[in-house]
Amino acid sequence: MRAIDHHAWTNRWRDWHPAEKLLPASGLLVLTLLLPPLTIAPLVLAGTALATVRGAGVPLRALLGVLAAPAAFLLAGIPFLAVSVDFAQGFDLRLSSEGLRLALTTTLRALAAMSCLAFVVLTTPLTDWMASLRRIGVPAGVVELILLIYRLIFVFFERALTGHQTQTARLGHSRVDRSVRSLGLLAGNLFQRALAQARRLEIGLLARGYAGELRVLAPRPVLSRTRLVAGMGLVGLVGAASSLLARGFP
Amino acid sequence: MHIAEGFLPPLHAAAWTAVALPFVAVSAWRVNRLMRDQPQVKLLLAASGAFAFVISALKLPSATGSCSHATGTGLGAILFGPSVMALLGTIVLAFQALLLAHGGITTLGANVVSMAIVGPWVAYGLLRGARRLNAPLAASVFLATMLGDLATYAMTAGQLALAFPDPASGIAGSFVKFVGVFAPTQLPLAVIEGLLTVVIVNFLREYSGDELQILKFPSQTVAVEARS
Repeated sequence: MRAIDHHAWTNRWRDWHPAEKLLPASGLLVLTLLLPPLTIAPLVLAGTALATVRGAGVPLRALLGVLAAPAAFLLAGIPFLAVSVDFAQGFDLRLSSEGLRLALTTTLRALAAMSCLAFVVLTTPLTDWMASLRRIGVPAGVVELILLIYRLIFVFFERALTGHQTQTARLGHSRVDRSVRSLGLLAGNLFQRALAQARRLEIGLLARGYAGELRVLAPRPVLSRTRLVAGMGLVGLVGAASSLLARGFP
Repeated sequence: MHIAEGFLPPLHAAAWTAVALPFVAVSAWRVNRLMRDQPQVKLLLAASGAFAFVISALKLPSATGSCSHATGTGLGAILFGPSVMALLGTIVLAFQALLLAHGGITTLGANVVSMAIVGPWVAYGLLRGARRLNAPLAASVFLATMLGDLATYAMTAGQLALAFPDPASGIAGSFVKFVGVFAPTQLPLAVIEGLLTVVIVNFLREYSGDELQILKFPSQTVAVEARS
């Protein structure tokens, strides 16, 4: 979890206007979902990998780590797309070419879509997203709630990690039953602390004149039209190339 | 079990987003009004949301040796009630997609329906029902969490079955297939999460009756007991 956040804050494209990264990535995502996966997916994968690793300077390992996350899901689900069951004559399992094709296209589409998401999360810190949330009509109070949650996640995660380490050191996780008990105590403790933290935060903010709104100065990156147009142009190129390829082999 | 980014065909992804939207919008509107009336609720909800995220990132021990994560839907529904959980769950699921790469943006709607709407409502309904029948608190919490979890998995399997009907036996056959894949891993996990939630609720009743009272969310059943 920290790896993604770390790269989001430290990559070379960190200071770019978020729209310059979000819009081309969304464009690629839409192309991935709409065009036939066999031709578009490899192009999208290559494009996002180049942009993330060559462009933004995020290590390839980090990108592969993000792509590996849904792998477990794909491994569990994909074989069952390829296999078909028939209850008509008892229980009949059969591998069909149609099923294999479906499994292949779905895997490709999921991987390509995931790479678009990976590009965005590895290059754009979450706080940069918030401005766009306001724009699509999420109430200001809810956006602020999201920002507070983002901040507190890291505070609590630190505590959970420390708590887990101390429990392990005291053999709290040596057996499954102990582990369940230890985790329950850890979660209960965390919740207590979370509520105490909320109360302290409230008192501290009230002392500073909090009336239900946190005002912060956000850096305002300048939108570079050249970069945005170039990005969208490349997305268009990928789409065109994929359509040409698709005509090549039906 | 988060449906991975891009796994669902575009039409299905859009349809599930449309199903989730009204629930989340109503929840956001409610929470927003609650926060405007009582500013301290915002901090409480923020702490709870962050807590839910961290809980869902905790690795659960499982009998088969493989590790998996808690869903936290049952606990959330018990503590905050399902109407608040729709928004909190959506925020947590979005953070899971963006910080952990679990799930995705196009499949957010489908995941919200199974994990932030169906799971919490089933867990909450079962808890209320079991309490009305005067079942012991521990048993009610266990059943509510476990069956809430199973409802979540069944919903996910149903979503996948609708998206990928079996060429020979259709949607029903596909549903059986996906339930079959998930059952061996998810059944023991649901039992473990049920037990875990009982430990957490017992702990909270013993040591944080006051905090449970502040929550004042529909979990009166738990809060009332803590007071007595």
